[in-house]
Amino acid sequence: MISPGNIIKQAVLVFSTFLALVPTLFMIMTALKSNEEYAIDKLGLPQAPVLDHFRDVLIDSPFIGWMTNSLILVLGAVILSAVISCIAAYAIASMEFRGRDWLLATSTALMAVPPVVMIVPLFVFYTQLGLISTYAGAIIIYAGLITPFSVYLLTTFFRTIPKELFEAARMDGANSLQILWTVVLPVSLPAFVTLIIVNSLYVWNDLLIAIIFLQDDAKRTLMAGISIFQGRYNNQVPLTMAGMVIASAPMFILYILFQKHFIRGLMSGAVK
Amino acid sequence: MVMKSALRLQPYFYVLPLIVLLAFVFGYPIVRIFEFSFKMVRGVDGPWIGLRNYELVLSQGLFWESVLHNLQLLLAIPAMIAISLLVSILLYERLPGWKLYRIIVFIPFILAVPIIAVVMKRMFQFSGPVNEVLRWFSLDFMALDWIGSSNVALWTVMILIIWRESALGIILFLARLMSLDESILEAAKLDGATWRQRVWHIIIPQMRGVIEFFAVVSVITMLAAVFAYIFIMGGGRGGPGTATMVIELYIFNALIRTSLPGIAAAASVMLFLVSVLLIFPLFSARRRARAEEVGTQQ
Amino acid sequence: MTTPIDCRISRRDLILTSALAGAGAALGGARNAWAQQKGLDIWWWGEQELPGLQKFVDSSIAAYKDTTVKSMLQDTAVVISQFQTAAAAGNAPDIQYLWNGIYHMESVWLGYLKAMNGLVKDDIIKASKPTILSHFGGNIYRLGWYPLPMFWCYNKVLFEKAGLDPENPPKTWDELLTACDKLKSSGVDAIGGGIQDGYWSEWYISHSLVQNLDNFGEMVQLFIGDKDFRDPKYHEHWVKLEELKTKGFLNKDMSSLELYPGIDLVVAGKLGIGQTVGTRLPADSKATGGKIGYMVMPVFGKGKLAGMPLVDMQGLGISSNAEDPAAAAAFLEFLNSPERLKAFWDTTGWLPSNTTFDASVIADESVRTMWQKWGLAPNISNITNLVPGQWYERAAIPTGQKIVAGEISGEQAGELASDVAKEWREFNTDMVDNYRKWADDLAKM
Repeated sequence: MISPGNIIKQAVLVFSTFLALVPTLFMIMTALKSNEEYAIDKLGLPQAPVLDHFRDVLIDSPFIGWMTNSLILVLGAVILSAVISCIAAYAIASMEFRGRDWLLATSTALMAVPPVVMIVPLFVFYTQLGLISTYAGAIIIYAGLITPFSVYLLTTFFRTIPKELFEAARMDGANSLQILWTVVLPVSLPAFVTLIIVNSLYVWNDLLIAIIFLQDDAKRTLMAGISIFQGRYNNQVPLTMAGMVIASAPMFILYILFQKHFIRGLMSGAVK
Repeated sequence: MVMKSALRLQPYFYVLPLIVLLAFVFGYPIVRIFEFSFKMVRGVDGPWIGLRNYELVLSQGLFWESVLHNLQLLLAIPAMIAISLLVSILLYERLPGWKLYRIIVFIPFILAVPIIAVVMKRMFQFSGPVNEVLRWFSLDFMALDWIGSSNVALWTVMILIIWRESALGIILFLARLMSLDESILEAAKLDGATWRQRVWHIIIPQMRGVIEFFAVVSVITMLAAVFAYIFIMGGGRGGPGTATMVIELYIFNALIRTSLPGIAAAASVMLFLVSVLLIFPLFSARRRARAEEVGTQQ
Repeated sequence: MTTPIDCRISRRDLILTSALAGAGAALGGARNAWAQQKGLDIWWWGEQELPGLQKFVDSSIAAYKDTTVKSMLQDTAVVISQFQTAAAAGNAPDIQYLWNGIYHMESVWLGYLKAMNGLVKDDIIKASKPTILSHFGGNIYRLGWYPLPMFWCYNKVLFEKAGLDPENPPKTWDELLTACDKLKSSGVDAIGGGIQDGYWSEWYISHSLVQNLDNFGEMVQLFIGDKDFRDPKYHEHWVKLEELKTKGFLNKDMSSLELYPGIDLVVAGKLGIGQTVGTRLPADSKATGGKIGYMVMPVFGKGKLAGMPLVDMQGLGISSNAEDPAAAAAFLEFLNSPERLKAFWDTTGWLPSNTTFDASVIADESVRTMWQKWGLAPNISNITNLVPGQWYERAAIPTGQKIVAGEISGEQAGELASDVAKEWREFNTDMVDNYRKWADDLAKM
């Protein structure tokens, strides 16, 4: 099997894999270097690894607080959106009613509307309502932005569930909510895993909404925090990189643990 | 009778929360941007001024510069497709270690844009590691001021975008490849078709749907989802100068930095109309990509 | 799925209008209930440039017994837009942090701020030195909170190595060029900093453009169209920056560094001369064992304001939404009590803006003399505080960045500045008259 062709192919793959890893490697290696070492050697392995930068980051910058804020938003928005879209998708997939196709088409079309289009009126409206810098306010916006995808995904999935299952349950006298709970949900786990991964990543990674709608320093998200953190320590590259390692750790670990789910999930969420 | 009408209304109760949420987050703002775009807004409202905001936006050099930058970013798409095709087809060959490679090449897409932008910004600093490597290889002429020079900065952002978004392409394409009918490929192999012939005449033609889909998704990304890249790489202002200014940042600046919501709304309306135009190609590409996959599986 | 959606807009509107009415009412109701527990709200900024300020604010709130105060630290990007939008909606806090000049003057013109005179005791207003840029139509709209002396800094060790007198920094442009030349020959970058985030560009204008002005009104006239940046006098400063660039005096990585890391280069002994701000001096002086010197930017200009020390002033104001302005004023007076002024110094390591503050507590020699030379001697405020936001974004920052990157000349910078000023007038027709009145006021002061 070892033909020259295969060697070239292997080489190309190894090279692309390396390129995909370079920033991560740079980030981790640099975080372990002292400032003095980085000044002299920007590329090599850390000769005398130091953990000081990690300690400095955790003590001097509120990374933990930022992550907590991001987590609150992720939980709030993902759960709210999952519940609303689950019930709606169930109705759309299994019931006949006027305006059904129109509703699904509109909701799906909204996936292509850029979030930035909505910020002007929402900013003004939120200021009038006093919702700026509140978790609830930001959660509603995030939930709204991820819901078109959720509805699309769940509706598509629910429609693949065999009609016989519904019929059988209905014969047994179950009402529609009971059918949703006992028949539909148990078989829909894969769809929900996808939903949770795609939506969580979206909320966790967002910068635009976080900057505009969470202006209180105490409510800052991880991504908004990073944009400030990197400016403040611009020329302390090792310290900055330690911050980035900490910031990327949660998603990175989750990815390594659940990489199959991540890959499958993000493929279906490509449109986001 | 009562029972029956309650049943008929039931679906509406189920979809009501959805309608309320979408109306609040999408419906209301979309109506208001049209209204605001015809007003001289200070604070929360202002007098009607007809088409004046549009006149001002359309006659402003900065607006067109931003549009041009968004269009320039579209140039990244062919590169993304080429890279994704090459890597995914090689992975599909299941060479030793392919499963590990697959996990790694997807990492760029897992890292959040702000994080990776911060890392790349340090790497591309004038006295940073990228230039060090280039000087090491005696490629001094290539050691540019990657983020400090107006002529180069947007291309640097593009490198970052290609690097990250290609990961998505690879995974999408690989999924499609996995569903291909392998017997045709085997037959072609037996007939003595070379690797390049197989890729060019058998594999790629069957992937047209998914390539198209990826292309359309990427167009939407380039036109309306690059804020985080630009915000970090361009020092929060689309800098140096206005070299990396894009429409999203133009709207953000008009609203937040120069307190001109009316101007921001006029630009938002135009971006919204463009995104509406893109909905149709998006839907048809998605439908074709699905049909393609289902077709081969049956 | 593919049916066109545009023909359905009207129906969708109907649904969303009714849905929104419900949501809005619910949310509005919740808010009213919440707002009933009275107290003072203060939105502030400054921890970003003065670490420790948060502690001061918290301790002041805890020590204040007359009423409960709720504080919120704002993000840099939104300090103004958030306040203006909230004020327009009637939801502004009682006390708002205010940058100098136009950063609060626009709010004055829009009726969002209350005049200080008559609310706060006159002697306190005077002692807090809010600067002439807080005056409009005979009223004063801010209380000074803490000063920001602005100057050029230089590394005395590098000066010595280059054969320059570390105690006598250059005073004229020619002397500066000579000094840069010597620094360059001694093997270090002569002058510069970091301009990637743009603020260096703004500071440069503060120090240089002012040298060709006779009064602050002249600056405003550049925007309302009475004067023009195309006039060589008004873009000479950019020509000077171009000169530094073409002579190779600027540090090579200036375009890819940000402001503070650029100043760090001077402190680290890698850059001879830079631009800095007073709040950094205590730490930088300590880090180098007193080897950071400071100076007024060397003079090339012929205006009456040339060569004057620059002191900007951060401040606090009372919004017109304040339900009990007297209570807000009382809290501001409390912040200016001798005990609080001392607490300010203790928690932030920096000076509060009050002439009654006892400066003998300052241990660092260079900080104390700097305060005497900048803070207490005759000084001028910062002209970039007169710049409209749009001009700031479109001209103040890009001009410097492009010159430093070698992309435009000083003269082209003048053209860009002039074009953007014209553009600003077209975008903000409602503001031009206010600016004109302000220019007249300022020209008289």
